[in-house]
Amino acid sequence: MSASYQHSESVPEITDEDFLKFKEFFYRKTGINFELTKRYFVDKRLVERIKATNTENFRGYFALLRFQPSGEELQQLTNLMTVNETYFLREEYQFKCLVNSILPEIVQRKKGRDPIRIWCIPSSSGEEPYSVAMYLQETWPGIADWDVEIISSDIDTNILRRARAGRYSIRSVQHMPAVWLEKYFTGVKNEYQLCDDLRQAVEFTRVNLSEPADTLRYRNFDIIFCRNLLIYFDDLSRKTAAEAFYEVLNPGGYICLGHSESMSRISPLFKVCKFPEAIVYRKALEAR
Amino acid sequence: MKRILLVDDAATVRMYHRDILECAGYAVEEAWNGIEALEKALQSPFDLFLVDVNMPKLDGYGFLRELRRLEIPQMPAIIVSTEAEADDQLQAYRSGANGYLVKPVSPSQLLTHVRLMLGEHSQ
Amino acid sequence: MAFVKRKAMEPAPADVPKQERSCAELTACLEDSDPQTRRQAAREMLHFPDVSGALVSRLRREQDAAVREVILTTLVRLADPSAAAGMAECLRSEDAALRNEVIEAIGLLSGDVSATLRTLLADSDPDVRIFAVNILDSRRQPDVESWLIEVIEKDVHLNVCATAVDLLCEVGTEAALEPLLRLKVRFVSEVFIQFAANRAIKRIRGV
Repeated sequence: MSASYQHSESVPEITDEDFLKFKEFFYRKTGINFELTKRYFVDKRLVERIKATNTENFRGYFALLRFQPSGEELQQLTNLMTVNETYFLREEYQFKCLVNSILPEIVQRKKGRDPIRIWCIPSSSGEEPYSVAMYLQETWPGIADWDVEIISSDIDTNILRRARAGRYSIRSVQHMPAVWLEKYFTGVKNEYQLCDDLRQAVEFTRVNLSEPADTLRYRNFDIIFCRNLLIYFDDLSRKTAAEAFYEVLNPGGYICLGHSESMSRISPLFKVCKFPEAIVYRKALEAR
Repeated sequence: MKRILLVDDAATVRMYHRDILECAGYAVEEAWNGIEALEKALQSPFDLFLVDVNMPKLDGYGFLRELRRLEIPQMPAIIVSTEAEADDQLQAYRSGANGYLVKPVSPSQLLTHVRLMLGEHSQ
Repeated sequence: MAFVKRKAMEPAPADVPKQERSCAELTACLEDSDPQTRRQAAREMLHFPDVSGALVSRLRREQDAAVREVILTTLVRLADPSAAAGMAECLRSEDAALRNEVIEAIGLLSGDVSATLRTLLADSDPDVRIFAVNILDSRRQPDVESWLIEVIEKDVHLNVCATAVDLLCEVGTEAALEPLLRLKVRFVSEVFIQFAANRAIKRIRGV
């Protein structure tokens, strides 16, 4: 038996038509459209999952992906196809959008001196809500005039404990300007400890987004950051989460999703809104 | 090259229209429903929209109503529907459509309408 | 000014649902002029039996899309026979938004909706039959293919068959090849059906 034959037996083949079939299905489900240039990247991950699920070939695997009642495999695969890591200032263009476009709009409409309320979910280990706080502190002149409340939630209490502690690896802070790093962190052995002032700026809470009773106390928010979470939810959980966000937001409030996510796969409840830095979504001003 | 946005949740329909339009020299982009179509319309200008009626999350009429409210240059839109009744056509025009075609559309019928909407002389 | 925290996440009084509202009270709230009250009522009705009829009745008249979304979520979670039947009836609505919301919602129903789908696929209105195929699309049942084959073998309407063929591109196996070839013969002069069937055949063969 030749070596090449052994090889072709051990690696499941993805034909051009298989690739197109998968590409269309994945686009429909997630809104992510793989160009042909991504073929190698996609094939490699499909083969990995075919092996891990013992489905033998593309056909068997695709049937699992398409028909599995729990939708677990689709979740697994989405995880592999998207880069799901968190670090300070990830997807920074959205923070720029927050400061340059969203906040000026919100401030203009605010009556009285109520605080501006921002909800970051999932909190994960805290990089995102702390990035928001830091970004506002460093780049938003309005911070001198306005109170800002940042609340960050997660379903996982262990990760919330880590978020509150505010201790990070070098990898987590690698995209931060040196001056900010020096100003807000102290080096502790191989890690960085976030300063108390910033740790105090964010309130961490536990929330299950799919449970309406959990989100009942969250109201009157101006901005929600919900990045790279809903893409992993099944259809009904996405729908429920979007309805929760609708209650959470003030009329005219904004939602920022992750870079590879689109509201077109989630919910019709919000308007598409284009700013120079990003596309975000908005609860209609006249909504009640 | 004129740019056309195809809005339909059925991949087969998008592919069919794409083949016809690309062969006739148009640049084509696709959207799966009305929300994705709005996102694309906001990101770059199109000369024409070809829009299905029944789609998840945001249907063709809903898309047109939103599109017509956007502060972007307003370009013609053709509704491509499975429904052939006068009521449906009127609803399309009230929502902001400029043309109405009933599925399935033959290649020559599609190109005739597209050229008409784009103000091009048909050969 | 600075970063602030509330002492607790205390809710504004208006947001707290009144404890233990009766089913009759909630049904009355579905007619309230405030959409927020209607949404809250529709959400709470999940905990009562036999409310699908009242929810569907409101759904058909409801003008606020956000209220419709919540009503549909409750109906999907209730998933009783009258929820399925009531939603199916909405497919005849003149309102395109409602029709499409309902197609998605029926697709999310857990449990067996075969009986509802059978009825819809036999409807005299080809548009209703198209919606039935759309619903099949979102259901995760492996026997979807045999339903689709039945459609392309029997349905007289071209657009119904075309919708089924689009879905066969994704879920079809060798079993669909012969029926697809027969469909091509049945609509031999229709360019679109030829295109769609050829595409499905290519997908199924995988090369």
